[in-house]
Amino acid sequence: MTTKTETSLSIRGISQVFQSRGREPHTALDDVSLDFKDGEFVSVLGPSGCGKSTLLYIVGGFITPTSGAVFSNGKKVTGPGTDRGPVFQEFALFPWKTVVGNVEYGLLQQKVGKAEARERALQMIDMVHLSKFANFYPHELSGGMRQRVAIARTLAYGPSTLLMDEPFGALDAHTRHVLQNELLSIWERDQKTVMFITHSVEEAIFLSDRVIVMSRSPGTVYRDQKIDLPRPRVHSELLVNKRYQELVLEIGGVMQELHGEAVE
Amino acid sequence: MNRLLSNAIWDIVCLIGIFILWQAASIAIGIEAFPTATQALVEVPKLLTSASDLADMWASLRRMLTGFVAACVIGIPIGLIMGRSQVVADVLNPVLMLIYPVPKAALTPLLMLWVGTGDFSKILVIVLGASVPLIYHSYQGGRDVAKNLIWSARAMGMSPPARLFRIVLPAAMPEILSGMRVGITMSLIVMVSSEIIGRQAGVGNILFNSLDMAIYPPVYGMIIIIGMIGFAVDLLFQQFQRSVVPWALPRKTGDDDATFMWS
Repeated sequence: MTTKTETSLSIRGISQVFQSRGREPHTALDDVSLDFKDGEFVSVLGPSGCGKSTLLYIVGGFITPTSGAVFSNGKKVTGPGTDRGPVFQEFALFPWKTVVGNVEYGLLQQKVGKAEARERALQMIDMVHLSKFANFYPHELSGGMRQRVAIARTLAYGPSTLLMDEPFGALDAHTRHVLQNELLSIWERDQKTVMFITHSVEEAIFLSDRVIVMSRSPGTVYRDQKIDLPRPRVHSELLVNKRYQELVLEIGGVMQELHGEAVE
Repeated sequence: MNRLLSNAIWDIVCLIGIFILWQAASIAIGIEAFPTATQALVEVPKLLTSASDLADMWASLRRMLTGFVAACVIGIPIGLIMGRSQVVADVLNPVLMLIYPVPKAALTPLLMLWVGTGDFSKILVIVLGASVPLIYHSYQGGRDVAKNLIWSARAMGMSPPARLFRIVLPAAMPEILSGMRVGITMSLIVMVSSEIIGRQAGVGNILFNSLDMAIYPPVYGMIIIIGMIGFAVDLLFQQFQRSVVPWALPRKTGDDDATFMWS
């Protein structure tokens, strides 16, 4: 692993213009700059169409930006890399592989020996409480279980940054809470940098050290809010926490403003 | 497995029903060119024990399978590449649409003029017939691979050629298998009809020799055999499908943990 710098992820002046035949060019992102400290949990919040997912795909190296650059641990991003592990909303598990087959996939890709890959995969599966299901295929699992597998699969190959694209967006409220808690306990253990895309104000505040609110058309950084709530965080405690309530109202208000703006 | 067995039993019950209807219809109509089911059924063992007829059938089956395998080898990669490359798809799609409605068996005489009347032309026409559904299904399968699957593999550091074999191919496999199932049935259809048109050897030969001599029961006997071959091939193929893509099937367990997940 490379030596850790203070800033693990640096987004510098990213603009993204989509050009499609017979249409006006659409500016999805306009001069976005953000810095993520090492081990920081940052949520990117915004109305749909604000380019927040596009920003994540650019950081992942899946899309090349029209202008600007992303630096991961000081190195310029030119494509996907194992230093940045994505977790998608639709889980994106390999359906032809069992749970353990999925989790060890990235390790085998990194030329880790078979026995070692299997052992590390099983540890990861244990961490997400799915040991009983190691030999199940993804389609035999519920949505929440699948997303746990996806998180384990990405963590297994040891990225320094997790890129999570509305990972709990497709889950029911209860499962969502359970997974938020699990994600936080994993994060508190290995302190990875997390870029977390969501459209839920509560989710962003509950999880993050910092919440970035983006405006849409074009997508720009509208608000950069530090979340000064104590950790470890517990849902039921936060609900009666005055600062939490303030933050929800404040950021919720900003979101409302932005939605209203976009409607005009 | 149990479901497969009960399906097979149901199929057989239906077949018996059809034979009874056939018998009744034949007696009611009473023309020589429409023998009764029993007359036709009696011919089946005769055909299956005649050395020359068996040789004809075997030759046909061999051509059919050779043609089908060749169609897979050619059609699946073409389809997958079309699915992953917009340029290739744009070039080949019109060609495919043009070839699609042409009755492939009708090309037999032309192919015979070009490449001779031997096995090669007969196999070639089967390849043509079977590869269209194979290409089409592989194309759909390749095109519909979720972007996130490819991206997940890229994030793990997988190279483009490795992704084609290790991500696109397995992800498209259920769709490819559907194409293969249509393709193998198509091979049988094209095989029979091209042999009827070509009139040289094989199953078509048996059919037309009897027809020419106005001996009708063997014609129907042969039709029954062809139907049985189609039935058996399809049944075997479904088994094959199950063994290749077990992950696309629901697991049957009495495990409580497994049942709650379905809710």
